[in-house]
Amino acid sequence: MTHPASTNNDPILIAFPKGRIGDELLSRLTGTALALDEAALGSRVLRIPTATPHVQVLLLKGTDLPRYVAAGVASLGIVGSDTLDEMDVDLLELADLKFGACRLSLCGVEGLTLEALKQKPHLRLATKFLKATGAWLKREGLTAELVPLQSSVELAPILGLADAIVDLVQTGSTLRAHGLVEIALLGTTSSRLVAARGAYLADPGRIRPLANELIKLLST
Amino acid sequence: MATHTPHFPDLLFSGAARLRRWEGLLMELLTNAGYLELRSSLVMREPHEKASLRFFDGDHLLALRWDYTTALARMLSKRFAEPPPRVSYAGAVFRRASQPWEPVERFEVGCERIHTDQGSRDEADVELARLLMAVPKTLGLRAAILQIGSAALLRSPMEAEELPKATADAVTRALLRRAPHRVKEALGDHPAAPRLLAHIEALLSEFDGVDGLQALDRSPYADLLKDEREHLGKTLEALSPFVPEGLQLRLDLADVQGLDFYTGPTLRLYAPGAQQELAAGGRYDGLYPELGKPWSAAGFCVRLSPLLDMAETRPDLFDSLGAQDL
Repeated sequence: MTHPASTNNDPILIAFPKGRIGDELLSRLTGTALALDEAALGSRVLRIPTATPHVQVLLLKGTDLPRYVAAGVASLGIVGSDTLDEMDVDLLELADLKFGACRLSLCGVEGLTLEALKQKPHLRLATKFLKATGAWLKREGLTAELVPLQSSVELAPILGLADAIVDLVQTGSTLRAHGLVEIALLGTTSSRLVAARGAYLADPGRIRPLANELIKLLST
Repeated sequence: MATHTPHFPDLLFSGAARLRRWEGLLMELLTNAGYLELRSSLVMREPHEKASLRFFDGDHLLALRWDYTTALARMLSKRFAEPPPRVSYAGAVFRRASQPWEPVERFEVGCERIHTDQGSRDEADVELARLLMAVPKTLGLRAAILQIGSAALLRSPMEAEELPKATADAVTRALLRRAPHRVKEALGDHPAAPRLLAHIEALLSEFDGVDGLQALDRSPYADLLKDEREHLGKTLEALSPFVPEGLQLRLDLADVQGLDFYTGPTLRLYAPGAQQELAAGGRYDGLYPELGKPWSAAGFCVRLSPLLDMAETRPDLFDSLGAQDL
């Protein structure tokens, strides 16, 4: 494969998400050519060097990450498919890395059934996954009032803000701790390798080998 | 509802001078190749395009010109019994931004090659690609990549399999993201899923140059795509001797952007180090028949707005942007 010599000597930025996927990502990369610099990780530096010169990592909030990649600020990124599905951003999704897998589930207090929810004249569902929930409601032929929440969604059915919630479930321990159970499965999510369209297509000599390396290191 | 209206760019002195100069250089390039300028009205009477900027004039809902090709096609199909073979244009189009950083007003220079006989297809596609190959040097870009693809490579197999529109749209969206795992999800248990997945794997395989077409040997639709493959091969072979210094010609079999519009070969221009597509075009044989004319057409447009941004943010990508050039 031949590519034109890049005229760009800037470092390549990869965006990693903070939180659940980010923690798993960092441990998987330990000891590899893309391991993050420990000293920089422990500091307040925002661009973390890696073991590969000219490759740096940005640690970002998951919901901000796709915008950094779509705008071409970061050439590559790793983000949950749930975040991608909720946002309308133009980027390439090069691989399903499989790790960080979760279920997107309809959850409610113990004893509540899907049939009981369907019978409600005015169903209220709390979630931060408005698009995915809307699509599921459409598939099921249901209508509901969606209550947008960003965190501590589990409180909503307990305190009466909503009849049930739609949220990511990994082990189910948080649900159980709040006396909630899964009622229906809306879909599954996992981490994805994404790329800025322009960077990937315009700078293949720089970006594609790095994307392939990430797929090799992170795919399970 | 209040709307946030991003980016109606004001061009200050150097930007305005650069726009004027680049428009002039590109129009000169097109004029020398026999393309004659047409200027369609800034106002369009068909306000149906979702991304258009619409307004009322009395009781009439109108739109600002959102696309030059569409505006010219409407003008030409109404005013000409036979098509002028080569037309060019320069000016702004207005489209709602899909991303916060995109401008609404976008400056473009472009051309259309229109013909009535299918025999002119090969010649027209090569002519347009050769013209587009000259654009980077005209604008002073140090390096560029011209990618050639074909909308028929996905469109024809999906039509042959009679994929329902919703499924075909989902497959196209997934391939637009170059996400084979999403294509698999979109096809579900459709009987053609194994064949289409094997085809998409072939489209996504990375090859360069004329040899890249060999990837289609692995496609279950190799026979169906024989003519398109031959056409792409001939185009690449015809272009190879004329590739200017600093430009690389590449094949991108998985280019499905604009699949609802393009019907044949597609062209996309990038610059290494730039984050955006700088020019795009291709063959769209369906447009004029929709307007009642049995004409075929292809064209491209150079997107001057991202180039103007690049001149400010990445002057190192250009050979000549000094004050003396303005």
